[in-house]
This record gives sequence, structure tokens and C-alpha cells, in this order.
Amino acid sequence: MAHGYRLVQWTPFKKRYDLALLLGVVVFLGAYLVAGLAFTPPGDRPLPIQLALRAFGAAAFALLTLILLIGPLARLSPRFTPLLYNRRHLGVTCFGLALAHAGLVGLWYHGFSDLNPLVSLLASNPRYSSIQGFPFESLGLVALLILFVMAATSHDFWNNVLGPNMWKALHMLVYWAYGLVVVHVMLGAVQGEKSAVYAAVVGVGAGLVALVHVLVGAREARRDARADIAAADGWLRVGPPDEIADGRARIVTPPTGERIAVFRDGAAIHAISNVCRHQGGPLGEGRIVDGCVTCPWHGFQYRPQDGRSPAPFTERVAVYRTRIEDGVIFVHGEPVFGDEDVPPSVTAGAAT
Amino acid sequence: MAERSAEIVWLLLGGYLAVGLLVAGLTLLFGLRRLEPGASAMPLAVRLLIAPGLTALWPLVLARLMGLRAQEDRR
Ligand code: HEM
Ligand code: FES
Repeated sequence: MAHGYRLVQWTPFKKRYDLALLLGVVVFLGAYLVAGLAFTPPGDRPLPIQLALRAFGAAAFALLTLILLIGPLARLSPRFTPLLYNRRHLGVTCFGLALAHAGLVGLWYHGFSDLNPLVSLLASNPRYSSIQGFPFESLGLVALLILFVMAATSHDFWNNVLGPNMWKALHMLVYWAYGLVVVHVMLGAVQGEKSAVYAAVVGVGAGLVALVHVLVGAREARRDARADIAAADGWLRVGPPDEIADGRARIVTPPTGERIAVFRDGAAIHAISNVCRHQGGPLGEGRIVDGCVTCPWHGFQYRPQDGRSPAPFTERVAVYRTRIEDGVIFVHGEPVFGDEDVPPSVTAGAAT
Repeated sequence: MAERSAEIVWLLLGGYLAVGLLVAGLTLLFGLRRLEPGASAMPLAVRLLIAPGLTALWPLVLARLMGLRAQEDRR
């Protein structure tokens, strides 16, 4: 937001979130170490440092899977939206885990060769004779570089400098990183002495990520196909007020232009652009807090009557005219950017 | 990968990051306000936090700085 920059805009919620994240990571690493020791026969038990570097890699992969699941899950059900708020801390943590993994790999598998360890990392597997063939480490390296760029540009400063579109494009690289990591793990695990169970777990994770993305895509396509129902003279049919929960919205798609979020705040019906100015979050999946439409992604707020963020913020989105006819809400598809408020439509007989 | 190619990859990467560090340092000292007007009163901790990004994206940062410079000169 356009005001003084801080390290992190801390809130009690974010502190609890980060504490849970930290605990989760510690428990994961611990469980991995215990399982690694318990399920290998004493003879070919890996050294502690090998176990540790694998644990860090596995934790980074698990966290990346979680990160990619949260977005679409939150769109399928609002129950998951709290997980979204602080997702960038997950990303930075994931990079930290991956860096620890790669650092230990460099140290252990390549640090003792005559070659420079960095050169050795790309050129050979001197201490890892069981892995031959494709240099899966290079894939990990590219993924790590992508994670680095994303972690390094996660602060809101970068959102402002790059602009929302470029920032978004940059952070879409996460899908490339994920793909590279999946291949990295599969090749590494398959070429190594890992069990088929391990490859299956990785495959299920990646499959889940693909599945929720397809589900959400299909849902959005269906919503868009409904778009122009009864789009007469620019007025779009929304539906009866009592089908919208109090403080929530229904999203409609005009034939042209951005989607529109139609909110019900008690008896008042407001319509506002569905696209958050911050990073394009779906405002219509948020709720009304303190009289303001609040974005589900990072909590930017907009007054529903004029689309402006409350002072001292200066963001602004379009609003839309509404009317109610025979107990049905209509919204006009043309955005309003005027200086005057767009008055809400008021439902007859306060709906519940 | 042959050792020779591996060396070249690391050399390119290292060179890129070295230039990036230089650009990041100069930007943090002199160019921050030009890059993002809201950044004038940025605490040191936040400056350090964005330094890695400046290093990684230095071509873009330079382009931004030059572009904005050009606009100012025209005025
Ligand atoms: C420079 C970057 C990287 C290098 C050199 C590297 C290298 C390696 C090596 C050598 C192994 C096999 C370790 C063993 O079985 O003893 C491995 C496994 C693995 N790596 Fe990486 N890696 C890199 C980046 C990453 C990244 C970015 C991720 C995930 C975000 C990742 C996730 C994993 C996972 C999940 C495993 C399997 C761990 C297990 O056995 O449970 N790696 N990596
Ligand atoms: S997208 Fe970040 S607050 Fe809306």
C-alpha cells in the first residue's frame, strides 16, 4: 500500500501464522529424521548429514506443494482463505529450506572433491555413484534460482516498483519451479535407491496440485459461460438478495470488461469491481468488514459506494449501478469512476 | 556436464550477480526515491530486505532508473 514501508506489517494473526509455520516445519523435519532412521535397516542407514539434507529437500517440496494448493483451494471454499493472507512467508521459508538442502548437498557430496564444489555440482556426482545419468541437480539449481527471485521480490515494495502485472508474471514462474522440482525429485529418487512409495507420494502431491487447478479453471469457465444471461440494455441479472449471504458477494461476468462483485451489506446492495488493485485478488470472494469490501488475499479495503480505499490509502476500483426489480437484483455492466457515490439499492423487507 | 561448461555457467552467474550487487548498492544509496517515490523514508532493515531483489533484477532496475531519468530530463 502506498504508505511508509515496513519490514513486515505485523498483526497478531500473522504472528500466530508464522508460529504455526515454524512448528510445522520443525515437526516435519523431525518426523522425516525419525522415519528415515526407523525404516532403514541398520546396515545401510544414511549418515545424519545425508538424512538432514534429504529432510530439508523434502520439507521444501512439501511446502511448495502446500503453497500451490492454497490458491485454488481458497477459491473453491472460503474456509481456506485465512491461509492465503500470509502466503509470502511460506514462499520465503520454502526458499530457505531449499537453500539449506542445496547447501548441504554442495558441502557433503561435492565439498570433498578436488574440483571446486560448485563446478563439481554441475559436472559430476563424485560421491554419489549410485546416481548416474541425467544431472538432476541442474534442475534443482534452476528451481532454486527461481525460488530465490520470488523470495527476493516478495515485499510489497516490489509490487509497487514492478506493477501488479509484471509482479504476477514473475511469480507465475513458481509453476516452472515446481515442475523442475518434481522432475528433480523423481529422477533423483528413481536413480537413487529410493522406494517406489517415495515416488508415489511425490506424484500424488503433484497430481493434487494439477487437479485443484483444473477444478478451479472449470468452475470459472462455467461462471463465465453464464455471463450474458439476460444482459438487456447493459443490465445483468444477479438473482434475489437473500441468495447472497450478509456481508458476502455474488460474482457476475458482464459480456465485456472485468467481473463484478455484487455485495449485500444488511439491506444494502452494492456492486464493485471484482479485481483488487493490489495483486488482482478476487474481491467478490472477500467480505464486508467495517463497512468496507475487504480483499481475501491481503486485506486491501474499498468503500463499496465509491470504490476508494479509506484514507490514508489511495487505491481505487470501479463501482457499478444496481437496481432491484420484482425481488431480483440487476447490475449495470458499465463501470462508474465518478466523483459522486453510487447509492446502494435497498431490499424491500430486510432480507436475512 | 563437462567441467568446462560447468565453469562457464558459474562464471556467467557470478558475473551477473556481481554487477547486480554493484547496481543494488548504488540504487540503495542514490536511486531509491527515483525508483519508487513512496520509498523515501525507508528504514535500513527494509533496504537490506530489498537488496537481494535489486541484485537479481538489476537489468530491470537499471532500465527503470534510466527510463525515469529520461522522463525527468525531457521535462
Ligand atoms: C542447487 C540446487 C539443488 C541441488 C544441488 C540439489 C541436489 C539434490 C541431491 C543430490 C539430492 C539427492 C540427495 C540424496 O538422496 O542423498 C536431492 C534430493 C531432493 N531434492 Fe534437491 N537439490 C537442489 C534443489 C532442490 C530444490 C529447490 C528442491 C525443492 C524445492 C529440492 C527438493 C529435493 C527433494 C524433495 C529431494 C528428495 C529428498 C529425499 O530423498 O527425501 N531440491 N537434491
Ligand atoms: S490482492 Fe492483495 S489485497 Fe487484494
